[in-house]
Amino acid sequence: MKHTEKELITLKEGVSEMWRLVLSQLEKAKQAFLNNDVELAREVASREKRVDSFELKIDSDCENYIALYNPVAVDLRLVLSLIKISITLERIADFADGIAKYVIDESAGFDNRDLRDDLQVETIFDTVIEMLSDSYVALDSENTRLSGKILAKDETVDEIYRNAIKILAEAIREKKIDPENGIKTMLVMRKIERIGDHCSNIVEEIVFYIDAKVLKHSKNRTSPPAPPEKTKKN
Amino acid sequence: MLETKNIDFYYGGFHALKNIGMKMEDHTVTAFIGPSGCGKSTFLRLFNRMNDLIPDTRLTGECLIDGEDIYHKSVDVTSLRKRVGMVFQKPNPFPKSLFENVAYGLRVAGTTDSRFIAQRVEESLKGAALWDEVKDKLKKSAFELSGGQQQRLCIARALAIAPSVILMDEPASALDPISTSKIEDLIHILKKDYTIVIVTHNMQQAARVSDKTGFFMLGELIEYNDTKKIFMSPEKEETQNYITGRFG
Amino acid sequence: MNSHLLKQNIAFAIFRILGLMVVSILFWILGFIIYQGAGVISWEFLTSAPSNGMTSGGIFPAIVGTLYLIVGSSVVAFPVGILSAIYTSEYAGNGNIVKFIRIMTNNLAGIPSIVFGLFGMSLFVNTLGFGDSILAGSLTLGMLALPLVIRTTEEALKAIPDTFRTGSLALGASKLQTVHRIILPMAFPNIITGLILSIGRISGETAPILFTVAAYFLPQLPHSIYDQVMALPYHLYVIAVSGTDLEATRPMAYGTALVLIVIVLIINISASYLRKKLQKRHA
Repeated sequence: MKHTEKELITLKEGVSEMWRLVLSQLEKAKQAFLNNDVELAREVASREKRVDSFELKIDSDCENYIALYNPVAVDLRLVLSLIKISITLERIADFADGIAKYVIDESAGFDNRDLRDDLQVETIFDTVIEMLSDSYVALDSENTRLSGKILAKDETVDEIYRNAIKILAEAIREKKIDPENGIKTMLVMRKIERIGDHCSNIVEEIVFYIDAKVLKHSKNRTSPPAPPEKTKKN
Repeated sequence: MLETKNIDFYYGGFHALKNIGMKMEDHTVTAFIGPSGCGKSTFLRLFNRMNDLIPDTRLTGECLIDGEDIYHKSVDVTSLRKRVGMVFQKPNPFPKSLFENVAYGLRVAGTTDSRFIAQRVEESLKGAALWDEVKDKLKKSAFELSGGQQQRLCIARALAIAPSVILMDEPASALDPISTSKIEDLIHILKKDYTIVIVTHNMQQAARVSDKTGFFMLGELIEYNDTKKIFMSPEKEETQNYITGRFG
Repeated sequence: MNSHLLKQNIAFAIFRILGLMVVSILFWILGFIIYQGAGVISWEFLTSAPSNGMTSGGIFPAIVGTLYLIVGSSVVAFPVGILSAIYTSEYAGNGNIVKFIRIMTNNLAGIPSIVFGLFGMSLFVNTLGFGDSILAGSLTLGMLALPLVIRTTEEALKAIPDTFRTGSLALGASKLQTVHRIILPMAFPNIITGLILSIGRISGETAPILFTVAAYFLPQLPHSIYDQVMALPYHLYVIAVSGTDLEATRPMAYGTALVLIVIVLIINISASYLRKKLQKRHA
């Protein structure tokens, strides 16, 4: 293996590690939120700094790689997408941190189990976590077949989010929930919905890296693009 | 416009170019890249028939400049070479004065009007971005220039005969980075008036100077596309392996 | 001292001694000739004809004869040699004909000079009827010089990198223009050097002029190219082995040899001087 390839693999491993960290942050934020677990929420908040420093490190590693190796084509696409992915991961971690802070501040929180079920809080959480872990697999295995599935999940997330607006509005109107608490819950739902959007961005970056198709702003984005044509080897 | 159709070229029994067809538009820079011995230089030299100098070679297919088959019997090779200038890998100024180097093409073409020659020499040196550096020493030997200046002198020499096409065979491979970047700047300027085809081993250079890039391997044109496309997302695996350094 | 170093020192010492030996042989010959011959060199020796059955007088006719032969053989050898070298190295490519010409040129160089003399006598003196004359002698010497001229010219042309040829051709110059305007001017210093050295070579030859031009004794200068002349190498041979009074002419023989050596030396030195000067002009 060439030296430049080894360097690239090191870069990729850094991002993978950050990814696992963000996944666990998200998982813990979910648990903390669902169980009103302040201890766990504090843990998430305290590990937020690690995510930030990860992002800085990956950023500078990628800059160095570009400066030293002048990557082109697939290598350049990988480095560019790694930079964007690490920024996006950091934002996702910010949201997880935000959710955790909410749990810490509002320890009385959210004990209306029926409402929670109506809002499908656990489902929306699980969906974005799946999106994040599936996209991790997609990058790790350099396989874009998952991309359509992941992007489809974002629509589920959006739908749950749209329903949540109605459900919470009604719950506040019917005084099933304290309005302040209701709005804050809505903000948590909003954060989760944003995580879904960010996961979609990550998938787009992975597709850009592997298949060199820019999916952004294109309409037909759920069909996986054709793999690069292979010419006969002489 | 340069165009080839079904070009096959042989050195003796060696099949050096295999069924190459491509078009190069006027006022563009086209770069040829590929591993050593892939045929890119051979292909470049088809356009001013420099391959004619090598014994025991054979060409089939068509090679057209502005629609005219340059290998047709009626074509005079020396007048073809006045339309298609060439710059070589190593600067090769003649052991003459700067002035006479640039005037050489005009003199061998039979021009005797000394005022016209002086004017062309000045224009050409300006065109090659060398005039300001040498205008006071036109009578000095060309060998007194630095390597980068010599190469620009060779470009000026090619410009003096007013070609429409300039072929460059690794024009900066023997130069230091600063001279190289001057040559590259020059290529960007010359593009306005000339059609430029450049062979280079330096892929970054191809990326920097060209509009289109052709990737050659084992005598085949593997991929020919916009330079941005080639360097961002090539369509062929061979191209990608070569430009990312995974070749071989 | 370790043994490698010792061996090396011994080896170098041997090389050095051998090298010095070559030089000392040269100086020995020169010194011997100068010692023996310097005594007879005088203005009169250089400017008067031999007299008294060649036991006194000078060698003026022989000097003039040699100079005539140098000029004559140059006129014969240079154009033919240079042009054929241009043909073989610039035009003819690398085909079988060129290979054949090259092999034959080398063979020509290997023919003993006495054979040239014999051939020259048969062809120029007898068949073509030039008689013993400057013309026949120059033609014969010219033939002898030809392979030398061809080879040195070819080498001078080959020393010019191909990039200059392709550079010129790529500017729309014809092959002839390229040779004329670029290659010959660049090769000129080396060609000239080769020419002068071949002059030096032939000016000392005795055998080719023996049967074609050289006069045993001819105290006046030639009037046309159909006249015989005396020549230094042959004159040297005559007064050294077949004169009327060998003992009396011995110093004159050394004097003649000295003059011949000095002429060749002047030619060689001027060759290297000229080359340096020409190269400086082109650099």
